[in-house]
Amino acid sequence: MRRAYFDRFIIFLMALLIVFVLFLQISTTQSTEKLKNEEIQRAEQYASKIAKLIQIRTQNSLEITLKEHPEVRRHLNETLHAFLTKQYQYIFVLQKDEKGKYRFLLDASEDEPEEYQSIFFPKSEMFDKVYAFQKMQIIEQHEGVEEVWLSLVYPILRENKTEALLVLDLSESYGEHLNNFNSPLMRVVWMMQVLLILSILLLIYLVYSYSKLRKILLFDSLTSTHTKVFLEEFFNRNEVDSYNAILIDMDEFAQINNKYGYTSGNLVIKEFTETMMNVLSLNSKVIRTAGTEFLVIVPKDDSNFETLAKKLFTTLQEKKYLLKNEVFTQSVSMSAMIIPEGNVSIHDVQRILDVKLLEIKSKGKNALGLLGLDHFNQMKYGNMDYIKEALEEERLVCIYQPIIDTKTKKIVKYEALVRLIDKENGEKFISPAHFMDVIKGTSQYIKMSKLVLKQVFTVLHQYPEIEISVNLDLDDLYNADMMKLITQKLYRNKMIANRLTFEILEHNEISDYGQVALIFQQLKTFGSKIAIDDFGSGYANYVYLIKLDVDILKIDGSLIQELLHDTERTKVMLTSIKHLAEIYQYEVVAEFVSSKEIYEIVKALEIEYVQGYYLGEPKPLEVYMGTERN
Amino acid sequence: MRKIFILLIFLYGHLYALERESTLKMYHGIFSALSSKPMTSVYTTDREYRKVFTTSKRIFLAKKPEESDIILITNRSTLGSIIKRNSLNKHGQKPILFVTDYRFLKDTKDAVGAFYWRKGRSQLLFIKKRLEQHAIHLPKAYQNYMIDAL
Repeated sequence: MRRAYFDRFIIFLMALLIVFVLFLQISTTQSTEKLKNEEIQRAEQYASKIAKLIQIRTQNSLEITLKEHPEVRRHLNETLHAFLTKQYQYIFVLQKDEKGKYRFLLDASEDEPEEYQSIFFPKSEMFDKVYAFQKMQIIEQHEGVEEVWLSLVYPILRENKTEALLVLDLSESYGEHLNNFNSPLMRVVWMMQVLLILSILLLIYLVYSYSKLRKILLFDSLTSTHTKVFLEEFFNRNEVDSYNAILIDMDEFAQINNKYGYTSGNLVIKEFTETMMNVLSLNSKVIRTAGTEFLVIVPKDDSNFETLAKKLFTTLQEKKYLLKNEVFTQSVSMSAMIIPEGNVSIHDVQRILDVKLLEIKSKGKNALGLLGLDHFNQMKYGNMDYIKEALEEERLVCIYQPIIDTKTKKIVKYEALVRLIDKENGEKFISPAHFMDVIKGTSQYIKMSKLVLKQVFTVLHQYPEIEISVNLDLDDLYNADMMKLITQKLYRNKMIANRLTFEILEHNEISDYGQVALIFQQLKTFGSKIAIDDFGSGYANYVYLIKLDVDILKIDGSLIQELLHDTERTKVMLTSIKHLAEIYQYEVVAEFVSSKEIYEIVKALEIEYVQGYYLGEPKPLEVYMGTERN
Repeated sequence: MRKIFILLIFLYGHLYALERESTLKMYHGIFSALSSKPMTSVYTTDREYRKVFTTSKRIFLAKKPEESDIILITNRSTLGSIIKRNSLNKHGQKPILFVTDYRFLKDTKDAVGAFYWRKGRSQLLFIKKRLEQHAIHLPKAYQNYMIDAL
């Protein structure tokens, strides 16, 4: 963006300079023209005065007076001479004779004045025009005329007849003097013009060099495909979701290089890209992202993408190469994806295709993997950057699933379940299945936990009648930062901490029960309860009941689901857990109660609390609070 | 620097050649109007004109006035000597006199025309009666420059 502004600024500056130089040029020319016009006006005034003087002095007829009175002629010549300043080269009076030839009547020149009635060829038809139309004319001199810049030809009239022509020749040197009047300024203008032309030439050269450099940057010299720089630029100008993408890698290409040498290897790569280009439309773009890896960008309105990807894969697979009298084929691994609509970055697309390509390669290479929209979302939501951004923007929400008392059928507690909010669609929640494993053990996990606890305590403050349980991995309890966060939160909210239950999940066998018991004790100090989640499966077993002081057993969902398949045996198992819980004075919650059938059995077994889709899906708390009020 | 110097010399040479060419072109016109011969023999003492005429294919320079068809007079001393020669050679064929000064036209009645400058303007003038003495009939293009007498 900054570059674009800079370019615009340079163009603006150049345009400003051009306008300024043109303005100066025009102003200077106009100023010179003004000077000239003023001088011409002055000459006109002189001509008018001289003509009047001649008319007065020659009384009735100019011709007769001058012919008969040489003294008048001499006197008038002297008068004319008085007007002969450095501006005027010549001042003279002409008359046409009966044959239409011009003859001198008067001449202001002191040295060698023209003889009275001597012939003169004026070298311009304008003299005849002035004679005929009796209107003064300014004649710009031309070929065959020297030392004269302009001639002002003024008719001397008597009784509406042209008697003679008064000619005032403005000297060439004076014209030059006027032209040079603004010469210092003109010199500046010329210098500026030269500088401007040089700048423009330099700019053209720079543009040319830049375009050459750009070509090097944007095109791969070996394959004539595009480079990564092009990819960046292309998607600065185009929407990513208007295209689909394919990532292609030539399998084990190093072997070709080793066997035939790099030159031959390059030939194969060249042929490979040519084959690729032949399959693709002209609107498609091929980018060489690595030595033998190519990213293909295909417009969505091109042919069926899946068919195209398959065709490309088959063509590249079947392509035969000839090197040193050996014919061989080159296997390829390809991942292709339909890019979903919305704000998608090309880096995300590349990363997803990369992951898929790695998967294909790890499974034996030489295959095509097509990615649908689900894959995209799955991979997108599993991106650490995406999660990080979501947490930074606090795009996180807790939804709540009710836990119901089987006797009263009332909600006694809610289990808070964390969800991320989709960046593009604010109503779309992202399940922890997509991101939990990615952030576990990282600072983002602590950040997420902090946000969850913040929301949960806000809710507990907002609704004093409810209890909430949150999930906590047993590993979290070993994490000093996490424990610090939890204890701080409990301390700050100690008045309501007794309405919070920690559902402990266990993925590994507890090695030090003493330490866990101590941690549990710490949490319970604030009045919070401890529930063992997924009891009856994995490591969450009966040893817990002996060694740890817990409050609630949440029977594993798989056991509850088993009620539908092996009802009697499962019932025995559940009865046993229930009986044990009664002895240890634990509350029991049956999870995954997904149907009425299960609910009835669980209720018949006198398990106090139930949770599951049959009784309530995880939803924003407001939904349940509203339901309760109704 | 050397190249610029050579270029300047070349430009000067070129301009000089252009001026010489236009002078020659004008005199070709005048001389072919005065003489019906395809090759006009011209006598002049003026060095500049001699240089100019040397390059012409239609004018050749006569060594003596009496060997020429046209004598071009550019200075008063030449005018004097030519008038003197003409007065001695009363019966022989007299060359046509063409002058470069209006006053020379007045000084000798043998001169048929002149090319001179007046008030910064080039003037070409032929005198009808004098042309008739040589039985010269000017082409139409030159008729405008012809007057009966001074």
